[in-house]
Amino acid sequence: MDLQTLTYIIVGATFALYIGIAIWSKAGSTKEFYVAGGGVPPVMNGMATAADWMSAASFISLAGIVSFVGFDGSVYLMGWTGGYVLLATCMVPYLRKFGKYTVPDFIGERYYSQAARTVAVICAIFICFTYIAGQMRGVGVVFSRFLEVEVDTGVYIGMAVVFFYAVLGGMKGITYTQVAQYCVMIFAFMVPAIFISVMMTGHIFPQLGFGSQVLDAAGNPSGTYLLEKLDGLSTQLGFNQYTEGSKSMIDVFAITAALMVGTAGLPHVIVRFFTVPKVKDARSSAGWTLVFIAIMYTTIPAVAAFSRVNMIETINGPESTGVAYETAPQWIKNWEKTGLITWDDKNGDGKMFYANGEQNEMKIDRDIMVLATPEIADLPAWVIALVAAGGMAAALSTSAGLLLVISTSVSHDLLKKNLMPNISDKKELMYARIAAAVGVIVAGYFGINPPGFVAAVVALAFGLAASSLFPAIIMGIFSRTMNKEGAIAGMVTGLAFTSGYIVYFKFMNPELNNAANWLFGISPEGIGFIGMIVNFAVALVVSRMTTKIPDDVIEMVEGIRFPKGAGGAQDH
Amino acid sequence: MDSSELQPIFDFVNGLVPFNQLQPESLEWAARQLEIAYFPAASHIVPLSDDDRRLYIVRSGAFEVRDKEGELVDRLGEGDYFGYPSLLSGDEISNSVKVLEDGLVYQLPEECFSELCSANREFSRFFNRAYARRMRHEGRFKARSMLTTSRLSSLMSSDPITIDIDQLVGEAARLMSQHRVSSVLVQEGEQLVGILTDRDLRSRVLAEDKGPFTRIADVMTTAPLTVEPETLVFEATVLMGEHNVHHLPVTRNGKPVGMVTSTDILRSQSSQPLLMMGEIDRQTHIEGLVNLSKRIPMLLQNLISADARAEEIGRILTSVTDALTRRLIELAQSQLGEAPMDFCWLAFGSQGRQDQVACSDQDNGMLLAREPDSQEAEYFSQLAKIVCDGLDACGYIYCPGDIMAMNPKWRMSLKEWQQRFSSWVNSPEPKALMHASIFFDMRAIYGPERLFDGLQLSVLELTRDNDIFLALLTGNAMNSRPPLGFFRQFVLERDGSEVKGIDLKHKGSAIINDIARVYALSAGVREINTPKRIRQLVDLGVINRKDALNLADAQEFIAHMRLANQGRQFEEGQKPDNYLKPGAVSSLVRHQLKEAFKVVDDAQSGIRLRFMRAY
Amino acid sequence: MSSVPGLTALARWRLSRRLNHEAEHCAVPWLAAYLASLADLLSLPVSQMPLLAFDLEMTGLEPSVDEILSIGAVPIDGPRLTLTGAWHSLVAGDTGVGQSACIHGIVDQDLQQGTKLERALVELFARAKGRWLVAHHAPLDISFLTHAIEHLYGINVSLPAIDTMALEHRRLQMTQQPWVEGGLRLAACRQRYGLPLYPAHNALMDAIGCGELLLAQKSAMQPASVIELLQ
Repeated sequence: MDLQTLTYIIVGATFALYIGIAIWSKAGSTKEFYVAGGGVPPVMNGMATAADWMSAASFISLAGIVSFVGFDGSVYLMGWTGGYVLLATCMVPYLRKFGKYTVPDFIGERYYSQAARTVAVICAIFICFTYIAGQMRGVGVVFSRFLEVEVDTGVYIGMAVVFFYAVLGGMKGITYTQVAQYCVMIFAFMVPAIFISVMMTGHIFPQLGFGSQVLDAAGNPSGTYLLEKLDGLSTQLGFNQYTEGSKSMIDVFAITAALMVGTAGLPHVIVRFFTVPKVKDARSSAGWTLVFIAIMYTTIPAVAAFSRVNMIETINGPESTGVAYETAPQWIKNWEKTGLITWDDKNGDGKMFYANGEQNEMKIDRDIMVLATPEIADLPAWVIALVAAGGMAAALSTSAGLLLVISTSVSHDLLKKNLMPNISDKKELMYARIAAAVGVIVAGYFGINPPGFVAAVVALAFGLAASSLFPAIIMGIFSRTMNKEGAIAGMVTGLAFTSGYIVYFKFMNPELNNAANWLFGISPEGIGFIGMIVNFAVALVVSRMTTKIPDDVIEMVEGIRFPKGAGGAQDH
Repeated sequence: MDSSELQPIFDFVNGLVPFNQLQPESLEWAARQLEIAYFPAASHIVPLSDDDRRLYIVRSGAFEVRDKEGELVDRLGEGDYFGYPSLLSGDEISNSVKVLEDGLVYQLPEECFSELCSANREFSRFFNRAYARRMRHEGRFKARSMLTTSRLSSLMSSDPITIDIDQLVGEAARLMSQHRVSSVLVQEGEQLVGILTDRDLRSRVLAEDKGPFTRIADVMTTAPLTVEPETLVFEATVLMGEHNVHHLPVTRNGKPVGMVTSTDILRSQSSQPLLMMGEIDRQTHIEGLVNLSKRIPMLLQNLISADARAEEIGRILTSVTDALTRRLIELAQSQLGEAPMDFCWLAFGSQGRQDQVACSDQDNGMLLAREPDSQEAEYFSQLAKIVCDGLDACGYIYCPGDIMAMNPKWRMSLKEWQQRFSSWVNSPEPKALMHASIFFDMRAIYGPERLFDGLQLSVLELTRDNDIFLALLTGNAMNSRPPLGFFRQFVLERDGSEVKGIDLKHKGSAIINDIARVYALSAGVREINTPKRIRQLVDLGVINRKDALNLADAQEFIAHMRLANQGRQFEEGQKPDNYLKPGAVSSLVRHQLKEAFKVVDDAQSGIRLRFMRAY
Repeated sequence: MSSVPGLTALARWRLSRRLNHEAEHCAVPWLAAYLASLADLLSLPVSQMPLLAFDLEMTGLEPSVDEILSIGAVPIDGPRLTLTGAWHSLVAGDTGVGQSACIHGIVDQDLQQGTKLERALVELFARAKGRWLVAHHAPLDISFLTHAIEHLYGINVSLPAIDTMALEHRRLQMTQQPWVEGGLRLAACRQRYGLPLYPAHNALMDAIGCGELLLAQKSAMQPASVIELLQ
């Protein structure tokens, strides 16, 4: 059976699984509530949250980025993991006590202002758009490879699939579907990683293989450690040493911080915490989520390193002189069809060669790394198909969640609450669907003309969240004096500053996008951190100059942090 | 002048029942009394005045009759009449007539109409029937006096005593006294040919010096006046009065299927709810209440056969339950002495919502003004036991979930209740919430309003705008979906291989109750009854008027179907349940039912979008 | 259109003066009484305006040659035609029915029972007293009436009347609806208002038909003053 057929079958089978679970859980839900009596167990909810969390960016792109840029790529790992911890421990418990379901609702209520709410909604929509644009690119890559089409066509197909999945399918938000998606995803990610780890280092756990010696042809440890070998290859080919970063300390710090705090403002993840009824369960399911995220995140550096070594060796050959194009492995030919790998025979020797600088003849898109790894390592076809299914799961679960946030924000928060209060339910639903369609189209546009790689685009979304929503939430919880004027001014300037900086470097003057021109040497990926500081500063100054916050709001804020009586009731 | 100049008008009128029954001279006279008016659709309604009553005959165009509440009563086209109800009853005109299409209307002045009625029986009977039909139709939307809207089938004795025409009078008399009836129906083959009553035996047998060996055929009343099971009680009463008879055989296709006597009609009125509630208040022993409660199924049956609004039926039956409960509490207090503190008797679930139907179980609790000491606690324990036992004896079986005032868990002080609600709202667990949903439909049946308000207001304070709680509540309300499949086909409930039908309660009414509850709690609405909740939500601008009207209509329609189905099952001697077999109703009703379920589905999507931010 | 209030008032004043003038100078008492009664009507609102819809059946279309065969009339009070007031009369004339018999279904024999023209006219105007005359294609019917009056009494009189055909013509023009050949005939006009089809050509049924048409037209046009209808 050829790869393509197998891919169809496996992707199809996983979809059938999701739909099947959706139908089963719908039919059985009433009974299930009576029998199980406790809703969704924390382990399951942990997996579901992890599935929401691990977007196409994590699945497809993160390993690619780490693989190509080495140490610098690890900022994403640190930032996102840290962000999750921050969200789960410092923010969710308070938001929960406040009784608000979405971030804009919290901000609107806390800052006693419809305007603050609307600004928050606009920020949320903005963030979701950026985030989903990254997902669309990921979906496009998956489709383009496995349908053997141009990546743009892949994005179009992905747009249609995501739209139908999000709008017409009834399987979003069903915990067990998400659990299944997580399982498919983690299985798809781990199987090739384990295969390659065993092949290259003899260790079953890729995490251990990452720090071990590379096996020689006979299968015995060769005495060189994987990372040593990679560093050697990198310097030889004119790249930075793999384990050394090229980014400045401050930039690394800023990006990590922006990713961390940006997480807290991501509208589609917070909701998931509220579906667990009890605070205790919410805590334990957050713990599980962290475990499930960690399984994948700790594997990423290993996968990145394995595939880097494999890739360089298959292109440049064991002697590092290049491999004749005619004898090039099938995976290079396959990926050429998508336009994500190109070969330019500069020296006319008919051989491919990959390096940094003049000698380089290959252009390889980083986003293909995870998908191509099993092919590069010559793993069986079903593994490759499985990875495709995993990529689909990652992209679909996240983009469906995001589209939902975009469309309900537009239809409910903007239209119903602001513009047409007397709209009927049906109309509201219709507008929500229209908003989802528009969302998909806009995201598709950015998927085709990406301002960066998947992970980088997603990082921008985090930057926007960090600079707009995060300060408003934090001050809403922890400050008794922050008023609506301050919060609104902070959110607006934070968002304007960050998006202005990003647009300037990414769209208007991409040629200036280097450390020399950056503000404080901070890249657009990390500018959200500065945006956040600007936001805090503006908010504090404005709130000092304007009216005092009403007494009942002060009481409310104190109630969040020191709940009276409610604490006892919580643990019933 | 001869009639030929007005020939087209005569021809038209002569083509109409009952004008075609008139003598030619009367017809011509009537036609010449006509007045002609034109109503353009732009004028919207036909101006009707109590001072100037007429019989209106539609000559062309289209009209519709709506009642005071704006409910559609009838649609009229060429040859249809309106205006006769107030001509017949002398009541004020209450309906309005809307012009749908430009139309020409002939009008017969009141004196002329009365003249024709008194001159021609057929003529007057036609309009009386039409009036009765109209009332019956209106009754579908509105419970009127029982007398006017219930059908004979609801009160006739269904096994009429019959005798063959060849028998002798003596045998008939024996049969009558054996069955303690005052009349016997005479059959030839299967067909009804006559009736023999007590009065006939007196006046035609004894008074004429005839003996028991007289043939029935010689003394019976031949070809008696008969009615059909669908005939309105009202019509039957009119017929009895008109013909001075006290027995009406009920036939179908000439075969006797029942018998109605004037006594039956009198008795049927005594199951009217108001009378019944008066009687409840007069009872001094629980036994009396138990006896009275036996009439409840009959009351329900009457209301169903009267096509009363389901909403009304629920309210009427609930008010009977309320009255029983109150009387039981009073009786218990007369036994135990005055209560040591203020307390409220709380009703939850369907009794709270006032949508009880037959054989409900009891869901109740007790709200105490303060923490009781052990002696006081004992008092309330005994009180609750008496009331709950009494209710059980009256047919309101013990709650399987033990949500009853006799369970100490649900006999709490105001403070404890508030804490309980606070825990439901602030850390809602799905299972707790399944239970809690019935608690959020609570109403005080007995006790000071102030005390109950203290609880209700604090609960609403907790729930209002508490998005996380509302999202979970909405999630619960999503657990069952309307029984429509992907292609809008009905999804039938099955029990193994047996098809049970559409579950009108759990897949219909209950969902609408859930939806109304979510909205009401989100907006702090104090109403408990679902239609009232919906109305108030519209007034507050929480839901769109159109959505609300649709939802209220769907609620009424589904509940009506459920009751009508139960009524049918009851009549057929089956155990009433909530399952409707789609094959048992017409395609029009199936279509309406689908529309209603579609509305429920839309409303569910509505709360899902609003409170869960999903679709 | 004299929808301008000032012009309407002026026209009403002129008509009233003319009617009074004619009434004063009219030698025929019943006719003078009729004309005088009209002047009083001018101040009534349109909705209460009493009317008499009438129709004549004639032997032809030329007043100087042809004769009136029958007259039908029905009073309209406010929003209603009252059939109790309906009246139909055949008119005995000098000449035979001739050609038009097959159109009207009237044969000479019927006419023998007919009233003398003068008596018919007196009766018609007695019924019309205090009412505006209404007819479909009124100029023709009016010209037969005025010709008959001139013939009988030797006086010239001008009779105001509402012409449902002219009204329909005007309305169609205003609403820019196209009309086809024969589109202004009574039956065609009635069809436009959803009025039922009556078998044509009996003076009374035509008068009723015309009266019903006027009610429909009134409700469609919402005239402010009877002047608008008379023009």
